[in-house]
Amino acid sequence: MARYGQALRTRIASLARPRRREPLPVRFDRRRIYILPTGFGLFLAALLATMGLGALNYNNNPALLLVLLLAGTALTSLLLAHLQLSGLELVAVGGEPVPAGTPLPLRVHARASDGRERRGLRVACPGAQATLSLTDGSGEAVLAIPTERRGWLALPRLEVSTVRPLGLARCWAWCWPATPVLVYPAPEADAPPLPPGSGQSARAKLQPAGDDVHHLRGYRRGDPRRTIAWKPSARRDTLLVREYEQPQGETLELDWQSLHGMPHEARIRRLARWVDDAEREGRRYRLVVPGVALGPAHGPEHRHACLRTLALMPGADGNEDRG
Amino acid sequence: MSSPGTPALDQRTRAWCLAAAAACVLPLLLQVPPTLALVIISVAVVGAALSWRRPLPVVVRVLLAGSLVMLVLATMQFSFGRDTACALLAAMLAAKPTETATRRDARSLVGFALFAPFATFLLDQGPLSLALGVVAALLSLAAIQRLADIESGDTQTQGPALRLAGVGRMIALGLPFALAAFWLFPRLASPIWGVPERALSRPGLSGEMSPGQWLDLMNDDSPALRARFFGPVPEVTRMYWRGPVLLDYDGRTWREAQWMHNLPPAQVRHGQPAWDYEIALEATDRRQLVALDLPLEAPPDARMSIDHVLHVRRPLAALTRWRIRSAPPVAYEPELKVTLRRAALALPPGFDPRTHALATQWRREAGTDDAAIVGRALQWISNDFGYTLETPLPGRHAVDEFLFDTQAGYCEHFSSAFVVLMRAAGIPARVVTGYAGGYRNPIGDYWLVRRSDAHAWAEVWLEGTGWTRVDPTAAVAPERIYDTLADRSPGAGFGEFAPVVDMADWLRRGWNDFVLGFDAARQQAMFRPIGVEASPWKLVGIFAAIAGLALALTSWLLARREREHDAVLRAWHRLGRRYARAGLGRAPDEPALHWAARVAAAREAGAPELLVLSQRFVHWRYARQKGDATVAHALARDLRVHRP
Repeated sequence: MARYGQALRTRIASLARPRRREPLPVRFDRRRIYILPTGFGLFLAALLATMGLGALNYNNNPALLLVLLLAGTALTSLLLAHLQLSGLELVAVGGEPVPAGTPLPLRVHARASDGRERRGLRVACPGAQATLSLTDGSGEAVLAIPTERRGWLALPRLEVSTVRPLGLARCWAWCWPATPVLVYPAPEADAPPLPPGSGQSARAKLQPAGDDVHHLRGYRRGDPRRTIAWKPSARRDTLLVREYEQPQGETLELDWQSLHGMPHEARIRRLARWVDDAEREGRRYRLVVPGVALGPAHGPEHRHACLRTLALMPGADGNEDRG
Repeated sequence: MSSPGTPALDQRTRAWCLAAAAACVLPLLLQVPPTLALVIISVAVVGAALSWRRPLPVVVRVLLAGSLVMLVLATMQFSFGRDTACALLAAMLAAKPTETATRRDARSLVGFALFAPFATFLLDQGPLSLALGVVAALLSLAAIQRLADIESGDTQTQGPALRLAGVGRMIALGLPFALAAFWLFPRLASPIWGVPERALSRPGLSGEMSPGQWLDLMNDDSPALRARFFGPVPEVTRMYWRGPVLLDYDGRTWREAQWMHNLPPAQVRHGQPAWDYEIALEATDRRQLVALDLPLEAPPDARMSIDHVLHVRRPLAALTRWRIRSAPPVAYEPELKVTLRRAALALPPGFDPRTHALATQWRREAGTDDAAIVGRALQWISNDFGYTLETPLPGRHAVDEFLFDTQAGYCEHFSSAFVVLMRAAGIPARVVTGYAGGYRNPIGDYWLVRRSDAHAWAEVWLEGTGWTRVDPTAAVAPERIYDTLADRSPGAGFGEFAPVVDMADWLRRGWNDFVLGFDAARQQAMFRPIGVEASPWKLVGIFAAIAGLALALTSWLLARREREHDAVLRAWHRLGRRYARAGLGRAPDEPALHWAARVAAAREAGAPELLVLSQRFVHWRYARQKGDATVAHALARDLRVHRP
């Protein structure tokens, strides 16, 4: 039963407008706004129908007048609900890339030019929802979209809906943005430390247990267990990690080939982790993957370029479409 | 039921919902017995206060609801009528706030509470009930709106005044549809099912009368009927509104003879003049009308029985109006059938020996002259009897006690004793109940008969004239009228307020006519002047068309943009639209002077004026000084008259 219900819902959804992805901005007009009564709306309709029938039967005019007053107001509320969406324009959607597995904060920017008050619109897609309120004709909602895999994430259909003003009907419209968002590969959780660097001032080794403790910082996933400062952690009741002063000026070589023998995706995750580590330690690094070599450099832009390259690397089967 | 799936209510939303429910129940509480209403109110207040922070335990809630139900049933004497149902609804709504914890609970509370105003209209259809009902609807909608706001997740909420204003606006916008449906939605010519009767009936005219029982009725100043005459009007002393005719007596109580209801009307020769009138009869929950003595024929939907009482099929649960013609009888049932004569002479054995003795003595002295006996009885009443509402409880020989001991009472005592005396003397007689007299309201020129005008008189059957009305109460000498209604009525001695009272009653009559009186027949009549014979299907069509137009009007009102408040800006924008029609519209980002120059370059006609106007506009808009209202006024006027 539930399966058929699901199938039916999918079928109906495939009929609903828009049927394909569309470039933004998108303006909601009456052809793509849908409205259906809520459970409470049906309850109230049944209530009014009962009372109206009784009033007609007894020719009880005050009762009929009151029923019709309420019915008229209910109809007005449906029109108002429609007008909450009609004329609304979704101007842009976008979000900073995040590692796969963490929710991506998708900013949905909306605008309306007719001066109508629009508050408490619900923006939703499978797995996420947010509230959108317009002030002075524009507003923004941030949807935490779940991510699973690296690469381009095609956005699902976004549903903008409202039950206002009376909660009798739910009015909604879909927008299916064509713009994909980028998802970085998930960094490997327990990765080995960065490979040794090269260059003029390269030291032989890192100093995993060295003397120059720079400072303590909060534990992050993937920190080696031996760097945890147990005593301060016990005092502060949270895990703290010793961070060591790192030698500057040496260039790291993050090479795809050096990870020979590991599975394809694991290599990508290891490299992603190393890019993050190198960036955090403020070191210059060079990423070498088949066909591409980036750097050496460091800074947010370089990191983004590296992670983007890793995110868009073809899969193990050579299939490039990761969407 | 508290449902764990939906989130808990915040205090303010809860307050809104409880206020809405209270407003819904209030008009209903005004219609249930006052003590019961007080108990329900206190239970509701205490329950709401106790469960304000956390819901009451289930056991307490069930006990509370159960005891309220029992109390209501006990008050209603365990009989089930529509008033019982209404009181039960009020009691249930009073117990409901104790289990209102979530949004869903709140919605069901407000939804069910909306039933209360409708239940009220089953008991009372006055303007006050409707006004309270509209207030209840307003508050309920505001509460529903608040619930929807909370559900939408918007943290910014409106204040009460703004919210009520917004809901009021929404109601006003729905008004075109509501009114179209009210006037045009096809009405039922006759109800499909009847109104359930009341469990507790109000004291009123009924099929029986025990002397001493009408005190409540005679203290009830509310209207019984309003009458409008077309043509001659009877003198007020001859206005006898005939109701149930009581034939059977058991020594204590007079009752209708049910078997007579199905006999065809008795033969009557009517005299002159005939009165043509329309009565608007308040709800009585009885199946009988009252009409002036004696109705000529039954109005449509009514039936006349042998004693000229008008019967209807369904209890009169709402205000009804009837067009009737009446005329005084010259000879009313001059041939009395034997069975009827026997019934009109029957007296229960073993009661009132002194009355029987007196009647036998009078008969002996008068011979066959019935009229002399009647005259002698009236003379006796005039000489020795007094009128008072203060009467002792009757003993076994009620008539004896009245005639020979107390010699004072009111219409029930007089008519009852008189009829017993006549029957004992061998004259067929019966008690007629109804209303006597009336009050002419100078505002609106109609007659108002109150329930306190209830009266009982007698009819005696005399050779030649047949049934003849005799009002023994009227025979009481004026100086012996001791304790009357005028002394008891709360408004006694406030004669100067009479115009206010008259006006109030006239307004109420207008309400009855225009609001309550609108029915299928009037709906049909509405279309006659424009030559449309409105069959139900045609009505459906007309209704659909007009309702569609009404909804279109509503959506147009809703969808148009916010109106620009400033007159100058409004005129300026209109001017821009006029030029846009000529293909020279101003782009949204185009400066005024730039636009005027562009227009001037494109066309000759009117360009200098437009340039001047634009300069004035720019000056007004960006270099305005305080207090130049006249400048703005002149500019707006000039902008309005300019045409491209």
